[in-house]
Amino acid sequence: MAGALSDLKIVELGELVSAPYASKLMADMGAEVIKIERPGTGDRSRQRGPFPGGEPHPEKSGLFLYLNTNKLGVTLDVATPEGFGLLERLVADADIFIHNLNPPEMDRVGLTYERLAKVNPRLIMTSITPWGLSGPYRDWRAEDLTVWTAGGVCVLNGAGPEHPELPPLKTFGHQSGYQGGVHGAVATMGALMARLRDGEGQHVEVSEQETIASMLEMTFEYWPYMKMVATRLGAKPIQPVETMEASDGYIYICCIEDHQWDRLVEVMGNPEWAKEEIFADRFKRAASWDALKVFLGDYVRQRTVLGLYKAAQAKRIPLAPVSTMGDLLNSEHLKARGFFVEITQPVAGTHKYPGAPLKYEKTPWQIRRPAPTLGQHNEEIFGARLGLDKARLGELSKKGVI
Amino acid sequence: MAKKLPLEGIRIADFTWVWAGPYCTLQLAHLGAEVIRIETRTRPCVTRMLPPWPDGKFSGPDCSGYFNQYNQGKKSITLNFKHPEAHEVARRLIKASDVVINNFAAGVMERMGFGYPEVRKLKPDIVMVSLTGYGDTGPYRDYVAYGPAQVPLSGLSSLTGYKGWPPMHAGFSYADPNAGAHGAMAVMMALYHRARTGEGQYVEMSQWECAIDVLAEGTLEYSMNGREPERNGNRDPYMAPHGNFKCLDWPDKIADQVVDRWISIVCADDAEWGRLARAIGRPELAADPRFKTLAARKNNEDELEAIITSWTSTRDPASAVEHLQKAGVAAGVVADARYLSQDPNLTARDYFVYKQHPEVGVKQHCGIPWRMSATPCEVRSPAPTIGQHTDEVLMGTLGYSRAELDELKKKHALD
Repeated sequence: MAGALSDLKIVELGELVSAPYASKLMADMGAEVIKIERPGTGDRSRQRGPFPGGEPHPEKSGLFLYLNTNKLGVTLDVATPEGFGLLERLVADADIFIHNLNPPEMDRVGLTYERLAKVNPRLIMTSITPWGLSGPYRDWRAEDLTVWTAGGVCVLNGAGPEHPELPPLKTFGHQSGYQGGVHGAVATMGALMARLRDGEGQHVEVSEQETIASMLEMTFEYWPYMKMVATRLGAKPIQPVETMEASDGYIYICCIEDHQWDRLVEVMGNPEWAKEEIFADRFKRAASWDALKVFLGDYVRQRTVLGLYKAAQAKRIPLAPVSTMGDLLNSEHLKARGFFVEITQPVAGTHKYPGAPLKYEKTPWQIRRPAPTLGQHNEEIFGARLGLDKARLGELSKKGVI
Repeated sequence: MAKKLPLEGIRIADFTWVWAGPYCTLQLAHLGAEVIRIETRTRPCVTRMLPPWPDGKFSGPDCSGYFNQYNQGKKSITLNFKHPEAHEVARRLIKASDVVINNFAAGVMERMGFGYPEVRKLKPDIVMVSLTGYGDTGPYRDYVAYGPAQVPLSGLSSLTGYKGWPPMHAGFSYADPNAGAHGAMAVMMALYHRARTGEGQYVEMSQWECAIDVLAEGTLEYSMNGREPERNGNRDPYMAPHGNFKCLDWPDKIADQVVDRWISIVCADDAEWGRLARAIGRPELAADPRFKTLAARKNNEDELEAIITSWTSTRDPASAVEHLQKAGVAAGVVADARYLSQDPNLTARDYFVYKQHPEVGVKQHCGIPWRMSATPCEVRSPAPTIGQHTDEVLMGTLGYSRAELDELKKKHALD
């Protein structure tokens, strides 16, 4: 069966997470993606792990291998006139060009939508940048943490009121990049739907800062509605909604509604302490959290994570394990759903990777090929497809263009 | 002449509630779809009942800043499914729609009579998306998933935390918008397939799996090396410094509290470290053997952070960031809502939305995180009051007469 996007051709000029994730999401649904990396070192994610055996190797980065499944890989220095010329030839035949060059780098390369639209007026160009292509921060530096903090989300996480000396805490990984990527894919698909109707391409720009600011739950609105700010130091209004230690790991005790707590008390065998007035409703339990955490903690410590999780879920209480990576890879539920997939890449070997975020009935998510090695498809793309002969390829390679 | 929006003419029968589903349909509304939320007055959306509220106290289901943020640009109708007539309204709406979407627990739509087989009978080329916590299959399919618990379940908590501390949270129900954004993409891809082939389909999603897809570096450490990654605060193995640093508190109290402020600083390589050392007036540290290379900075990271903190802690965050960025250093304010509401970049880009809402008036809301050159997107209306569009949708779209509508109301089928 063909994927939903199997008629699409995408050119990606991406590093690290945002643009590569956007085009991976589309590649895994059938689109052809030609990924452009800089000659020599390639995508920065090749230098970041995890690596098998902890040994850095540009063809063995788990992050790179995950983000670039189903893509063809070429090397090209688009900052050279010859390199830009080849980029123009690639996008001439493409539906979508996705990149995450920062604006100063775009200026240096001379990359604009107008320039590429001359070659291909039906082209959709998607620019995913930290701050957007306009505004006073346009040319500012950013790494993933910079956007996570400036988007307003990092301020929410941390050790709580007892430890104001500990900083606002970042969430693991490259979350600004992933969100820039998935929102970038949504906006790109929007432009594609418009093109089906109007026949025209266009320029889509995605700001990672705005993406993060658009997902702040109710916390942003506390300021315009109530002149309050939510930070990591705020006390919880409701309890128990906490991570607690069980006999063999951590479990998240989550009783947001009073009826959930009532049923958890049943699971615990109706202990005497739970009848105390100070624990009578969710707000009182928050006010009495210092006492509650001692009683509840004593109970939780005697239970296994899975034992308590299943006992609670049997009574429809939304407890959840604080999953370790091992828990995920070994989860009976995820195994039954076939979530993790094995992918073999010749240099890195065979490993299990996270699988489909969506299961389509008719147009399946599929791994057709592993991530490319650096410049793996130079001959296929520049030679067979664009018609450059061996001598010309050798010359460009010597000049460092490919 | 203004171009049509990308999804103009696409109608979404939106059975979602709480956050993940509404976040998904918000993206579709941003792209121009007509999103019609099916609500019920007997059990309003959880977010309608939660703060923040103007004046700080609950004043009805139309006043929550939480609901009003994530339902901008949508319509709302109310149906009381205890009445068979309400089911008939929903059936007519599905017939007139392109997409049906829900984030109920597995099986709920089936019990309401709106499982995919029934829905497909009503509209053969429908795109139907189910966005549940655990997915439609597997031994835990019936488990209850609440936003805050999905973060630890996903694995993110065990990877997030201060060194030597227990697992921490993300500070918000991150798995919800993450799943919502993936869900919006799922809808778009299925619509694209339908546009090309005429074929609708069922799309099944698990919020849990969407979250694991954004922490791949963690699961790969385990699948490649059998190791659990260590929690290490804000630090990064390949960059130093990499963290948040204390600045001056807000000069005035907020809600009677002193509120602290921080900035993030990252040096991706030795050259950026050199720029930082000069920017904080310590140029000699650039070549100091304790800090000259990444390896050296990683070995002396406590000391490195203390030096930076001694510079930041006497400074206002915005001007410190401005100073560092002028020097070419990746720095950002750890923005709280007050700062964010006036962030110069977001403001200059007209990111925020100010619409006149019938109950709360004009409040500042977050807007659309993308711009499109040929089909500019905009938030077209504030979030709907509950049932605001019942008459309009039933008479204008579904062909009910005024008399039929009044009859349904009298029976409380539209509560």
